[in-house]
Amino acid sequence: MAPQIRLLYMEGVSPLRSQTVYHAVGYAMQPDTPNTIILVSPNAPYVSIGYHQDIQKEVDLDYCAQHNLPVYRREVGGGAVYLDSGQLFTQWIFHKEDLPASLEERFAFYIDPIVQTYRELGIPAEYRPINDIHVKGKKIGGTGAAQMGMAEVLVGSLMFTFDKKTMAQVLKVPSEKMRDKVFESLEAYMTTMTEQLGFTPDRAMVKDLYLQKVSEAFGGAEIYEGEWTPAEEAMAQEIDARFTSNEWLYQKGRLQQPALRIHQDVYLAEAAFKARGGLIRVIARLREGRIDDVAISGDFTLLPVFALGALEQSLRGLAATPETLKAKIEEAYYRLHIQSPGVTPADFTTAIMNAVMSQQPA
Amino acid sequence: MIFYGCDIPEDLLYDVERDVWIRFEGDIATLGMTDVAQTRCGKIAAISFRPVGKRVAQGKPLATIESAKWVGPFPAPFACEIVATNEEGFARNRLMVNTEPYTVGWLVKVRPLNWEAEHGHLVTGAEAVERYKERIKTLNVKCFRCVDSTKE
Repeated sequence: MAPQIRLLYMEGVSPLRSQTVYHAVGYAMQPDTPNTIILVSPNAPYVSIGYHQDIQKEVDLDYCAQHNLPVYRREVGGGAVYLDSGQLFTQWIFHKEDLPASLEERFAFYIDPIVQTYRELGIPAEYRPINDIHVKGKKIGGTGAAQMGMAEVLVGSLMFTFDKKTMAQVLKVPSEKMRDKVFESLEAYMTTMTEQLGFTPDRAMVKDLYLQKVSEAFGGAEIYEGEWTPAEEAMAQEIDARFTSNEWLYQKGRLQQPALRIHQDVYLAEAAFKARGGLIRVIARLREGRIDDVAISGDFTLLPVFALGALEQSLRGLAATPETLKAKIEEAYYRLHIQSPGVTPADFTTAIMNAVMSQQPA
Repeated sequence: MIFYGCDIPEDLLYDVERDVWIRFEGDIATLGMTDVAQTRCGKIAAISFRPVGKRVAQGKPLATIESAKWVGPFPAPFACEIVATNEEGFARNRLMVNTEPYTVGWLVKVRPLNWEAEHGHLVTGAEAVERYKERIKTLNVKCFRCVDSTKE
């Protein structure tokens, strides 16, 4: 007999409930609780932060307050993210024996129905280990895993749209220039169904397609639409209270995240270095160990005036090693007759490497 | 004993199902993640410890661990009271559990509260090795230790 999976379909719930529902079903799980998939979307936008993030360091709380965006801490890892009804969250709450034991295999298994759904829609999505989904080098959603009580939880989404502009606004960043780079990077490295297809596909059709792919992944499992139990609902109310408490939201952050991960291969970071001739600020985007983009600024003098842009341009695509960068910068100094009193190619190299080194994946 | 790259020191006690090792000094037990656990979890990004003095029931979390791919509990192998945590050590080097899980990468020190009734599942020596050989095969794990690149 094919296995059975309960579906909780909850479109248009409050932002808080869109987060607390999967925690509640997870923590309320008993040995006889059915494996459950929750498809949920919020009826208003909000910001979700990772379990160990420091809200005051990661989120622009003034912006969120001005725009009525609540912020909730989830019990899943990773970074702050802006969420709205443009995503249909796909939350699995399963018994551990019904999922692959290794996390890598578990992510691959969880992600496959999402990838298959996108492909059926004509979007060439691919699983990018460990837990990303990519379309031609752009991310179309990340995923996360957690253990809650006896439940193994996997979360992700079907990405209809994603508001990159607001996403860049809600993050607390060291400078407005960095914010511009965040937006630019999201534009370059994130995508959605709407962007890929040129239109937003019908939500009900995508939902049915996804459930069909999930059923196939479980060998023809019956997925039946169910209700949540009084115990699960009571647990949700308890978690609602915790998630809205200042004690939970403002708890000490322990996650050290000097760089912003755009996707599995792309990181963005800002760093500075005080040279004798002035402060050098660098925003560097690193892709698979290479400089994908770099912006240099500061209070140093560098002539001719056009040379800084040319220098930035010449660094793109280079392996992010001090030797390679210094050689290229020295070559640019020679070629462009650069003069920079008190600032040397070695200083620029150090500033760039400070940004690069902060981008080591956690 | 090393099996599929996983170090299983035979002098420790283990809660194999929860992947926790235990070392007693007097009536205080030091607990940590096994090599299998740290490998499955991956490079640790953050740990939040329950406070010293907290009494924790068997199976309930003594700490919550976040890696690049997972968040989950470090479970109590038996009911216990937390007498010390390695929070300071992790503040200095969060990769200790990935590089030295059985020594400086310990997580908490506890005083058992219901030892007589709750220690029957713990194993050591050859029995622990045999149980772990089975578990490693079932989980299809090949252990590896992170290199702390910031120390190079």
